[in-house]
Amino acid sequence: MTNSQSAVRISDMDKYYGTFHALKGINLDIAKGEKIVICGPSGSGKSTLIRCINRLEEHQVGSINVLGTELDDNLDNIDEIRRETGMVFQHFNLFPHMTVLENCILAPMLVRKQERHLAERDAMELLTKVKIPEQAEKYPGQLSGGQQQRVAIARALCMKPAIMLFDEPTSALDPEMISEVLDVMVGLAHEGMTMICVTHEMGFARQVADRVIFMDGGEVIEQAPPDQFFDNPQHERTQAFLGQILGH
Amino acid sequence: MAQTYSGPGVFKRIRDDYFSTRLNTVVTLGFAAFVIWVVWSLFGWGIQQAIWSPADKDHCGHGSGGACWAVIAARWRLIFFGLFPFEEQWRSGIACAAIVLTGGLSCVPWFWSARRLSALWIIGFAVFYCLMRGGFFGLTLVSEQNWGGLSLTIFIFASVTLIGMPLAIVFALLRQSRLPWIARTMGVVIDTIRSLPLLSILFTFAIVIPFVLPGWMIGDKLYRVIVGYALFFACYQAEIIRGGIQSLPAGQDEAAMALGMSYWNRISYIILPQAFRNALPATINQLVITFKETSLVVIIGFFEILASGNAAYGNAEWNFAHVEVYCFVGLIYFTFVFALSRYGAYLERRMAVVER
Repeated sequence: MTNSQSAVRISDMDKYYGTFHALKGINLDIAKGEKIVICGPSGSGKSTLIRCINRLEEHQVGSINVLGTELDDNLDNIDEIRRETGMVFQHFNLFPHMTVLENCILAPMLVRKQERHLAERDAMELLTKVKIPEQAEKYPGQLSGGQQQRVAIARALCMKPAIMLFDEPTSALDPEMISEVLDVMVGLAHEGMTMICVTHEMGFARQVADRVIFMDGGEVIEQAPPDQFFDNPQHERTQAFLGQILGH
Repeated sequence: MAQTYSGPGVFKRIRDDYFSTRLNTVVTLGFAAFVIWVVWSLFGWGIQQAIWSPADKDHCGHGSGGACWAVIAARWRLIFFGLFPFEEQWRSGIACAAIVLTGGLSCVPWFWSARRLSALWIIGFAVFYCLMRGGFFGLTLVSEQNWGGLSLTIFIFASVTLIGMPLAIVFALLRQSRLPWIARTMGVVIDTIRSLPLLSILFTFAIVIPFVLPGWMIGDKLYRVIVGYALFFACYQAEIIRGGIQSLPAGQDEAAMALGMSYWNRISYIILPQAFRNALPATINQLVITFKETSLVVIIGFFEILASGNAAYGNAEWNFAHVEVYCFVGLIYFTFVFALSRYGAYLERRMAVVER
């Protein structure tokens, strides 16, 4: 029986790439409205983990339940889950042949069957929220990296998802553009969105996360509220990792 | 006001580029002389000493030294319309113009939606077919065997492209299928057809297929040849499209998936529009080749424009004038191919502006 307060519940989940064991025995219960930050060294499986939540990657063992829908081979379930989860990628992945506005209204019109003028109204509202309504008629290639990532966030929000997945949203940005994206994410967190973020932005984690999860070698090593996680890490691998990214 | 750098003057640039050393000067002058000689000779042959009127045709070929364009004036209807009944050739002319107009209109961005394009081409082909074949409203019946000349060339090209292009998309998607048996089978089919000469495929569809298929499936030879050619075109074009698809970053499809878009929505809104942009130069190239190779249908007894050109000088009266006829036919090919490649260049510029 799924707890009705769970947004995502992952039980004993394993993921293999061929013979490579990428995720090992993952157990995770994420409540509605909770903000999770996942960190860990590269290759630790953190991106793979959140890509499993909307089936960009397929898990082999165990179960993933998103908002009460079981993620299995049933295509209707996969569609249902993808409608309810928005995703933001490291490299933005905007559609370069469409304007910013077209990027935002495409899925609401095709998937949610929204009428164009309503979809456009919602999209403009969200573009205003990420502070770039004036770029609506431009093409992604004409925007800076930070602007593109904010468009990508608005595009995901246009589907009115219940959960937002962020896969290293600031890793491909020039340093001076990171804060404009983080500001949008902080705003979203304050509105009560359920967020699962893979990121190395520890300031962001301290500020908004309810729980920080540390992964290494395909396993969840440690999870704790940010104060405890940063000030009093229990596991030595966590300590070593924090020493590396905070120590300079 | 900002200063702009205008570079050295024209004379200095010419001197620097073409006359900088003694060797360069010799090469430049040598080539200039050669080009002037070629242009002057062509001008003399093709225009100055040419004979234009059929009335003067007795002077042709008897030491006048010029081209005998009189053959075109006398025989152009044979070149354009082939064996189409003489009295009815206006039908062939209008039909041909209708297809060219349809092709021209489908280059206009306003028509670029599946519904408008298909409506346009259905009307275009319907007009062509009704005018060419006739058999109603007092139009006499002209069977496909008597179609010919430019109308036939353009009809074959348009049909091959229109059948072949959707087929190519289907082939490319099947080749990309996640089910290995489908992808592999499609790969073998494409490689097999690509490894056969077009000529042998046309022969097979024209001559062999009637022995194999039941009677109701055979259809006229012309349509069998078109289907065979379309299949050949589709296999080449499928590989071009596949290249376009594979050059897209995986993130494009993933982003569309994450938004909950279905397979067909992802293909038609995200993947194919971008794949076609990437594949545009190769696609235009393939279309040009396809247009020119329509001339191969002559070997199974069709009278397309090159064959009707042969017929135009192929009698005792005009048998000396083959160069003039081929020049004329070449000019017609050039007109179409050049228009096509300019259109391709226009599309590339247009997309470059959009995506910058």
